[in-house]
Amino acid sequence: MLAVWQKIKADVFGRPFISLLTLITIISATTLLTLALATLLNLSQPYDRSFAELNGAHLWLYFDRDRIRRRDVEKIEALPEVTESTGIRYSITSRVQIDDTRVWVSIRSTPVQQPQVNRLLVQEGRYLLPHQTEVLASRDLSDLYDLAVGENVGVTRQDGKKMALPVIGLAYNPTWDTYRNTQPPYLYVSEDLFQELYPDEATWEWSLGVRLADPEAVDAALAQIEALLQADAVRIHTDWRDVKESANFGAQLNFIMLGAFSLFAILATVLVIVSGISSFVLSQFRQVGILKAVGFTKAQILWLYIGQYLVLGLIGCPLGLVLGILLSPLPLKNIASSLSTTFQPPLNPWIVVAVLVSVPAMIVVATWRSARRAAKANIVKAIATGAEAPAKKEFWLPRLAARLGFPIPFVLGLGDVFARPFRSLTTGLNLLLGVIGIVFALTLNETLEIYKANPPLLGVAYDAVVTRGVTSDSRVQYLLGRAPGVEAFYGEYRVDVETLAGETFQVRAVDGDVADFPFRILAGRVIRPGTAEVMAGQGLLDWLGLGVGDELTVVLDGWRHRSITWRIVGAYTEPVNAGQMAMANFSTLARLLPGERPAAYYLKLAPGADTTLLKRYFEPRPESDLNLTLAGQAIPGVVVYLQLALFALSGILIGIALVSVFNTSLLAVQEKLRIIGVLKTIGFTPSQVITMVNTTAGFLGLLAAVVGLPLGWVFTKSALAIMARSYGFGAVEVPLNVLYALALPLLMIGVSIAGSYLPGKRAARVSIVNVLRGE
Amino acid sequence: MMPLVKIVDVEKVYKTGSVTFAALRGVSLDVAEGDFVAVMGPSGSGKSTLLHLMGGLDRPTAGRVEVKGVALSEMDETALAKFRRAHIGFIFQFFNLIDNLTIRANVELPALLQSGRDRKAVRGRADALLERLGILDQASKHPWELSGGQQQRVAIARALINHPTLLLADEPTGNLDSQSGQDVLRILQEFNAQGQTILMVTHDAAAAAQARQVIFIRDGRLVETVPGRDVQKIAQSLAALTGT
Repeated sequence: MLAVWQKIKADVFGRPFISLLTLITIISATTLLTLALATLLNLSQPYDRSFAELNGAHLWLYFDRDRIRRRDVEKIEALPEVTESTGIRYSITSRVQIDDTRVWVSIRSTPVQQPQVNRLLVQEGRYLLPHQTEVLASRDLSDLYDLAVGENVGVTRQDGKKMALPVIGLAYNPTWDTYRNTQPPYLYVSEDLFQELYPDEATWEWSLGVRLADPEAVDAALAQIEALLQADAVRIHTDWRDVKESANFGAQLNFIMLGAFSLFAILATVLVIVSGISSFVLSQFRQVGILKAVGFTKAQILWLYIGQYLVLGLIGCPLGLVLGILLSPLPLKNIASSLSTTFQPPLNPWIVVAVLVSVPAMIVVATWRSARRAAKANIVKAIATGAEAPAKKEFWLPRLAARLGFPIPFVLGLGDVFARPFRSLTTGLNLLLGVIGIVFALTLNETLEIYKANPPLLGVAYDAVVTRGVTSDSRVQYLLGRAPGVEAFYGEYRVDVETLAGETFQVRAVDGDVADFPFRILAGRVIRPGTAEVMAGQGLLDWLGLGVGDELTVVLDGWRHRSITWRIVGAYTEPVNAGQMAMANFSTLARLLPGERPAAYYLKLAPGADTTLLKRYFEPRPESDLNLTLAGQAIPGVVVYLQLALFALSGILIGIALVSVFNTSLLAVQEKLRIIGVLKTIGFTPSQVITMVNTTAGFLGLLAAVVGLPLGWVFTKSALAIMARSYGFGAVEVPLNVLYALALPLLMIGVSIAGSYLPGKRAARVSIVNVLRGE
Repeated sequence: MMPLVKIVDVEKVYKTGSVTFAALRGVSLDVAEGDFVAVMGPSGSGKSTLLHLMGGLDRPTAGRVEVKGVALSEMDETALAKFRRAHIGFIFQFFNLIDNLTIRANVELPALLQSGRDRKAVRGRADALLERLGILDQASKHPWELSGGQQQRVAIARALINHPTLLLADEPTGNLDSQSGQDVLRILQEFNAQGQTILMVTHDAAAAAQARQVIFIRDGRLVETVPGRDVQKIAQSLAALTGT
């Protein structure tokens, strides 16, 4: 055993270059594995994590100001079911100016110290500071209106004066339900500033967030609270379980995409370790023969190599883990942002243990497998040839290339791809994973570009929306009829309905003819004005298990004794609420909505319409209650964050493939030294030697691109089809950009050649005499 | 007449860490066109180093090596590779064929490097050589399917396909049985008879006797030149040189 240990020490420290190369391979593979596991960690229960960390409120109550008193709130807080409370939160619903758009928001008084209950998760910038004239914006305002930290929000004070408040941060509120949109987006200001802006306390809206002893008993707690108060004192409420459901729904795309990527990365880790270590061991074929000749047994040879690579593994593995932990914020902060949760650094003990155990285990298995093969070899042959015999069968492709008159270095390089099929396969798979990653990210990008350029594909069938405040519906309709550049319009009133089975959803009650709008009809047709027809979002039909031609019966809140039955005449792409909405004629609901009229109007503009003119037409004065908003992007914000993460992860996969190509090429050169010496002897120039080495790697890159392109495309198509089903988009067009398709093989050849360039140069510098003397 | 190979005061010193070893010490030698020279000497005497310098595989530490009037030590790597391709043929003790190429492809390799476009002519030359060496029927096989003697014939064909100015053979019979060794020597003699200049390093007096002249080298210096064909004289000189 002493001899084995001495040889281990001699090998590790006596061949610093090979030891360094092995270490680099182990470190990069461990880094990748750490990142993959950290990604999975960050994908795990994001809402629960942020909710727990922020001490979120299980129930948020929005009161009718006229029916609530401070004593009532104290009674709620004293209920045994209520364990903690936010205290009364004051707010004002107001319109603010973001860039050139006026937006309804809830401006909320917020303590300058993060509260105990329902803290905010600051995702960009910082939290509020005392005595500062500044605003913290909800992240939805960034998603919807591109509001960024450093920009100003125009606020109108109670006295009518305008103020520009700088946005100092973007925050996530764990009890703001993006799905149901019961509240406008929030702007948080300090209590001082709130009082300065809106001194009349009588106009303040009240709300309260509470934490419950039994978080699942929200309905019972709500019933108890309502029993304490005047009827209808609780105007609306938010149940944390609904918010969680929405959050998990929004995150499912991330789960699919990033989960798949993490598995890719784990596979890449295994491949790079197996191919790297196997090649390192098998490149010492001659040494194995010599060791056997001097009396080493097979078991001692196995121990020698396992010990040698385990020593390197035990050095490289912790270094890779640390590097992975240091690099993890780069891709994972975006992932955490897209999941509205806190970034979890991979310092989790499970990850640390998993990495520190699995990487050495992979090293041992790869070493054992290769060393056993080497130890089985005939001693004389091992010493004479110095390498495991290459595949003897000559593949048809190099022969064909020779017949077609390709240059000799190219033909020989091509032949080398098939000389070591297992090694080529593992390197090729590493490159393939990189290609699939790139195709995935690029195709997703291309798909989004198409959908951005053509909003009707996502169900955005209008060009602009006008909302009204005090101006009457008839006046707005009159104005719209004469508005410059407006081709068609319809009014909309959103109403909550419930099926007889108790499922609740929203209906767009439309006033006007929607046939002029380019709705993306997936089946059937659009509704006709004045009929009891409804068209439903695909998401709603999937949810309710209905189809075109079926009847849909619903009741309205407060009208449980009177139901409405519509006939479903069409399925359309609904961009909101996962497609779980419907569109019906306002006239069919009018009897149940006395005094209500549409408050939003959807416009179709003439090609080339002057939107500035139109804006001035509707908003001639700053205090105008009409508001024109041009249709923006309908791409979910989560997808944009996901794109960034996917590009970062693709880059890492390509980096690992580069390491793999470098290792493979270097070891191939090491094994082929004698042949390279012979080739140089018969007249190969240095550049021809480099070309030969680059051809082997370049062909693997080309092969990976040719196989990876369709595979990546099919994978993307499947993933986006799942996403489309979830979001109720209907079928999604997934284009494969011809330019990308042509450029990707070139890129992969370039990456492979870059990876093999240094080994190629080393081969070109080989001293013929030294090689031949080795005989 | 100008010699084909001219070696003037050549020294070659190898350095390994702090250890230096002088493989050649002031060797001067001329080889005439059409000559067949055998180089003999004990192990480590500098025979192979001399052959490597003549073939442009290595550069002298001092002195000058000219082949066909061209100073090899003044060429860069690429020019030297092209020169070797066109003018030098090598035969090695261990054949050094490329395992995953067929016999024909091995032979064609230097010719395709030299004149890759005329594949038909290259094929014709390769087949003619293989036929002459009696192994055309093995052309589609791979090296590992052939005997040692057959493999050395393939190596000879590969060395000769570009009609080299100088054929260098390093122990060409050292790894062969006696019959195969004799066959190889006969082939070399035949080519020499047709004007091929050959320089052969060997330990075997019988092999050296096939040459026109035999050069003896010891400790990096030329010590004696004797005419070939005289096995006894060669054996005596070798014995004197090695002290056996």
